[in-house]
Parts: sequence; structure tokens; C-alpha cells
Amino acid sequence: MSTAPLLEVAGLSCRFGGLVALHEVSLTVREGEIFGLIGPNGAGKTTLFNVISALTPPSSGRVLWRGQAIPHSRPDQLSRLGLARTFQNLRLFDSLSVRDNVLVGLHRFAASPLAAGLLGSATVRRRQRQLEQRALELLALVGLAEEAQLPAASLPYGERRRLEIARALATEPRLLLLDEPAAGMNPAEKNDLCGLIRTIRDHFDLTVMIIEHHVPLMMRLCDRLAVLNFGERIALGSPAAVRHDPRVIEAYLGSAR
Amino acid sequence: MDLIQLLLNGLSLGAVYALFALGYTLVFSVLGVINFSHGAVFTLGAYFTYLLIGGQAGANGLLAGLQLPFALPFALALPLAGLASALVALLIERVAFRPLRRRGADSLLALISSLGAGVILVNLIQLLMGAESYAIPIGTLGALPAALSLGGAQVRTVQVLLLAISVLLLVVLSVWLEGSRSGKALQAVSEDPVTAQLLGIDSDAMIRLAFGISGFLAGVSGGLVGLSVSIAGPYFGISYGLKALGVLVLGGLGSVPGAMLGGLIIGLAEAFVPAAWSGWKDAVAYGFLFLILVLRPQGLLGKPQTTKV
Amino acid sequence: MDAGLLQQMLIGALLGLSVSLPLRCGQLSLATPGFFAIGGTVAALLSTRIPAFAGTGATSPLPALLLEMGLGGLLAGLLAWAIGGTVLRLRGIYLAIATIALVEILRVITLNLPFTGGALGIFGIPQPFATASGYAGFTLVLLALVCWLCARLEQLRLGRAMAAIRDDELAAACVGIDTAAVKLNAFVLSALLAGVTGALAAHFLNSWNAKVGSFDASITTLAFVVFGGSRTWLGPVIGGLVLTALPELLRPVGDLRLIVFGLVILLGPVLFPQGLITPQALHGLGHGLLGFGQQLRGYGHQLLERASGPRRP
Repeated sequence: MSTAPLLEVAGLSCRFGGLVALHEVSLTVREGEIFGLIGPNGAGKTTLFNVISALTPPSSGRVLWRGQAIPHSRPDQLSRLGLARTFQNLRLFDSLSVRDNVLVGLHRFAASPLAAGLLGSATVRRRQRQLEQRALELLALVGLAEEAQLPAASLPYGERRRLEIARALATEPRLLLLDEPAAGMNPAEKNDLCGLIRTIRDHFDLTVMIIEHHVPLMMRLCDRLAVLNFGERIALGSPAAVRHDPRVIEAYLGSAR
Repeated sequence: MDLIQLLLNGLSLGAVYALFALGYTLVFSVLGVINFSHGAVFTLGAYFTYLLIGGQAGANGLLAGLQLPFALPFALALPLAGLASALVALLIERVAFRPLRRRGADSLLALISSLGAGVILVNLIQLLMGAESYAIPIGTLGALPAALSLGGAQVRTVQVLLLAISVLLLVVLSVWLEGSRSGKALQAVSEDPVTAQLLGIDSDAMIRLAFGISGFLAGVSGGLVGLSVSIAGPYFGISYGLKALGVLVLGGLGSVPGAMLGGLIIGLAEAFVPAAWSGWKDAVAYGFLFLILVLRPQGLLGKPQTTKV
Repeated sequence: MDAGLLQQMLIGALLGLSVSLPLRCGQLSLATPGFFAIGGTVAALLSTRIPAFAGTGATSPLPALLLEMGLGGLLAGLLAWAIGGTVLRLRGIYLAIATIALVEILRVITLNLPFTGGALGIFGIPQPFATASGYAGFTLVLLALVCWLCARLEQLRLGRAMAAIRDDELAAACVGIDTAAVKLNAFVLSALLAGVTGALAAHFLNSWNAKVGSFDASITTLAFVVFGGSRTWLGPVIGGLVLTALPELLRPVGDLRLIVFGLVILLGPVLFPQGLITPQALHGLGHGLLGFGQQLRGYGHQLLERASGPRRP
């Protein structure tokens, strides 16, 4: 068991043309914690997620996974390493059923020779049934067992968010990145989501990194928080510490004007 | 063949490719679709020109023996043929593109329906005018001599004319796009249709404009090529249309200077293929195209694609 | 029905399936006729140059045909595998144009090689079947097999990954799908099928030349898929059957037939944006008459939707 943190972001900068989206951001995420990322709109939170999940190349700086630089990383390689994420603007496979969305998440565990698959050998069929069972379990966990056969496109907004989480969990991640999972939910749904995230963390023994605008929710949910403003990390620590940080208060009051 | 003749061949061929590619580019930049009926409109322009200068329909079509009661000089017939082609392009926009756009359909569908429009046009031409080839007589050019002396070399007047008119059109078009209000509006629509709409630009009108201009360009270049190398039957626009696709990607999809540069490169490259290898000439454009797609997919002068997360 | 026409229709259906495979993971490849031409050229060369393939009796031996189909498919598949890695990095219309270029390059090469008969092509390809019905029967079995495999594919890891990439390539990569590998698989399978079909078609047509793999063919085969619908295995089959038969069935209208054919291609996407066969419709067909009603209702809905005006501004 190494002592290196699960994820370390070191001196990360990201520029698009003249726009500085991230500037020298450093933070570490420890195994098993729920780590929150807050900050005003345009602070660079989603960009940080995109860099971590290898969708956006950083201009400088490094992302370390258990203390190791990730070689020539593609999103699918990172997924195999144990990283999963959801998207701020929801990216489901709309032409597939709810169940099949989760089955796509189980892609890695379905490996079988194509010929055997096409011919439908007994082993392949047994494996297939196991995966379908697994998909249904995950759907039950997020409360979508009843909807398994519906087209994903037909789900209402809140359920789509939960389906995306189930799909991410199917990849058996060690670190789950949630980008505004509570967006568009009412207070009761937000509360449920809080409970769900905790359950997931405990049940799967994983680490969660979460972006969310609803600050009170984040204060309750997260073990530690980082605050970004204009691409810079202006605070990092426990919810209590962050709450009283003058730079955070300034940033939030400033942006609320 | 001497150098000047080769150079002129290459340049005039390149200019035609560039005009063709510009027609694609205009429509592509506003709609994001390749208009596959473009080659048929080019063909149509050649036939219009032929009829307008007083040419007679051959024996095999429904119009056998038909001849217009008047014969226009080439200088008048060409722009008129261009206008008629522009009208046809507008009609194609109306039936093959607009219904799909209204529904926000996949752009792949417009590709197919525009192809359907092309198939109809080509076969309509065949039905009316037969499959035979037509030559636009050189006498059409009036007092102009058949050949000119250029730097000691004899060159065909037709080719000089072809090159000159093409370059003129290319220049006019660039100036219009960069300098005029409507040209800028067209560019705005191609950059960002939603914002353009918010700024009060009527994007439907801009799309019609793009189709109209591209139809005009196709018609005129069809007439010019018909004059230069004769009209080889209803399908003759298709091979030009295919090569122009290569030109388009070589220069960069949606880039006007790119289309010109691409046309120039491929035209010259084809002209300089040695006669012994003439069988391979058709592969030149596609070879270039393949190479550029591998090395620089956005084309020589195109902007790189970016994906938004 | 005329067995010769039926045979052409069946080949159209196979080509439709070939085009639909890359499309099922969102890749618009128009390379199918190029691979079709390769398969046919392999078969034509083997059976006219090598006595063992031509046989000695009135008909050439069936095992030779099967071997040629295998080799034609293999060569097409290998070429697809070799260039796929590079070409499939391109997206959307760029990929379409690159594959058009590929088809044209292959055509020019076939035209200029010393042993492929130039513009005239290769003649007198021996016949494994004495009648067109023989061909049609054989091809029907092949088509049924391919349909079954394509339908199976939808239930499999690869098929689901393809559908996921078609819906959202980036999200697919983020759940651990090696999108480049999946796209390459689909491209190679498509080429393989086209190559196999080409070998069979060369025998049936008796002669084979470079024209077979042309831009026209690229677009026609794409029309099969768009017309029939690309989201199910049945769509490209129906599209291939109908659009191949159409010009022949329209013979009574004489010279107008190609114009009517153009009209069908023009109006098909406008009237049936999803293609004739949607997944719902296919599901419906599986449920017999009850399903047929659903399909009609589906069309009714489409019509209603259209009548109620544009969905998006």
C-alpha cells in the first residue's frame, strides 16, 4: 500500500488563447474522501475536471495518479485505471435503453472473442446474464430499477442525472468525478442525492470529487473543499475553515454583486 | 508541349476547380453540408450556354432539333446561363435542403437529398438533350482570334479567357465577402448562426444567397469549360465535382483563399503529369487529398476543429 | 420475379449492410464500393488465371468460389485495417471525403495495373452456378447469415459500444471504450463484407472492371442505408433491395425511370428522416400483426409531427 495520495494535481495551468482557465492549481485528493470543488461561474472547475479526465490537455503542470504520472493518457485508459466522471450537461447514450447505458459502462468486463460472441456460446451467454444482473443492481442502487427497459432519452432530468452516475459506477472507479450532479434538482431531490453520494462512497469504498454550486449542500457533504476563483485555487481545507476564509467570502460577495 | 502552354493549362484548370470548390464552400460554410447537386448545376450551365448561343439540340433527346429563335453572343450567353443556373440552385435549396433544415435533421440526409436532386437534373438533361456531346463553336467568340501569341508561345484564346474570367470571379467574390455588408453577414452566419440571428441577420436569406451565388459560379464555370473542352454529355460535371471535393479539403473546408490555393495546386499538378503517366492523372487530386488529410486534416488554410466538452 | 434481378437486389442488400456497419458507430464511410471492387478483382483474377479455380466442367467448382470470397474479403479487410487507423481519425464529412478519395484512387490503380484488363476489365469469369436462380439461392443464404450476425451484434459488447460511440463518442471514451479500436473493427468488418460480396458479384456479372468501384456506387450504396434506415440491421437490407429493384421496376415508364429514381432519393430523407425501418418498427415487426399496427402508428406520429410544424427554430 503506497502512501501517495490517490490524485495529485501539481501546478496545473490551462490557457485557451488569451484566456487563462486555470493558473498554477495544486491540490491532492486522499483515498476515501469526498472532495468538493466550489467557486463562481467561470472559475475553472469544469476545466479542472476535463484536464484530470484527459479531455483537455494542460498548458503546464502535472496530474499524478497514486504518485505516478499517467503516460500518454486517453480517456478510456484513465477509465481502466479507475477514473469515472459525469458531465455538467449530461451525456447519456440517448438511443439506448436505460439498462444498456449501464451495460456500456460495463464494457471492460464483457471482453469475449468476437466470434464466440457472435455465435453466442454458453460461456458468453452466462457472462452476459451476469452483466445484465449487475446493471440492474446498479440501477436499483440509484433508484431506476423500474425504468431499466425505457429509452434513456425518455427519462426526466433528475433521473437522467442518476443514470449517469450509475453508468459511471459500472466502470468500477476508484475516483468518481461528479460535475454539478444536483443541477436542476429541487431541495428534496438534492437531499436524496447527498444521501446517495454518501452511500456510494461507503458501499464501493471509493473517492468522490464533486463540483456543485449549492454551497450549504457542499458544506454538509464534503470532507474537504477547494475554492477556485478566476482559475486560481484561493482556499483549501475543511468546510469550516473554508467558510471563514476571507478570500472566499470576498470571491463570493464579489461575484454576487 | 512547352512550359507556357502547360502552365496555362494548369492555371485554367486550377481556376475552374477553384470556382467549383468555392461553390461547395459557400454552401458548406452556411449549412455545414456538401451540396452534391453542384456538379449537375455545372453541367446545366454548360447546356444553357450552348443553347443560348444558338446551339441546336441533337437528335436523341425530346428536344431533338430544337434551336432558340435567337443566338446571343457568348459574352451575354455566359452570364445568362449563370443566372439560370442560380435559379435552379435556389430551387434545389427549396426542395432538397429547406424541408430538412426546418426539421433540424441530420446533415447526412441533406447530402442524400441533394444527390437526388443531382440525379434528377442529370437525367432530365439526358432526356431532353440526349447523351451526345456538344461543342460550343469557337466562332462564338466573334472577332477574337483562335490563338494568341504569349511570350513567343502559341496559346488558345479560350484558355486565356477561361483563366481571366475565373480569376475575375474569384477576385470579385473575395472582395464582396470581405468588403460588403451582405458578404460580411454571410460570414457571420457561417461563424455562428445563432448569434447572427440575434444580430438581426436573416439566416434563411443568407442561405439562399449562398445557393444563388454558388449556382451562378457553377453555371458560369460549366459554360467556360464547355467552350474550352466541349460538353461530353450529361455526366461531364461529375468528375469535376469530385476533383473539386479534393480541392476543397486540400485548401481547408470553408476557407475561400484555401479553395483557390487548392485549385491552383491540383490544377498545376495535373497539368504537369507527364504524358506517359496520363492514366494516373486522375489519382493526383485524390493522392494530394489523402496526404493532406493525414498530415493536416483542417487543410492548408483551414482552422483546426475543436470539440467542446 | 426475375432471378437475375433478385440476385442484384440481394447484392444491394449486402452492400447496404456493409455501409451501415461504420455508420452504426457514427462513421460516414463511403469506401464500400472500393472494397467491393477489390473482392471482385481478386475473384476475377483467380478464376480466370488459375485453372484450379476455373474448373474443367460446365460450371466452376463451388469450393473455389468460397475460397475466392474468403480471399477477397481478407484482402479488403487487411487494406481497411492498414489504412483505418489513419483515416478514422477524421470526423464527419472529412472521413466521407477521404473514403471517396480512397475509392477513386483504387479505381485509378485498377485501371492502370498491367493485369486487370484496363478500362475493359476482365472477361469470361467462370460460372459456379448454371442459372441466376442458383446464384440467388446461394446469395440468399449468405444474406440470411449476415443479417443474423448483424442482429446478434446489437446484443454484443462491440455492437453496444458502436451505438454508444454513435450517440456520444466522448462519453463512450470516458466509460472506458477504446473508441479508435471499435471504429476500426466496424470499418474492417464493413470492408470484409464488401470484399466477400464483390467476389460473388464478379462471378454473377461474368465481367469485372474498374467502374464497379466508383463515386456513383458510393453514393448509391449510402442511399440504400439512408433510405432504409441505419439504426437496425433490417433498414439497409430493405433499402438495398428496394433501391436496386426500383430502376428495373420503373422500366415501364421508360426514360423517366432514372428521374423517378432521383425523386425517390430526394424525397426519401424528407419524408422518412429515420429511414423506412426504425428500431420501433423493427421491434413491431417482431410482434406480428400487433406490431404492424404499432409501426403504422409510428408513421402516423411522424406524419403528425411533421404536420404540427418545425420542432426547432
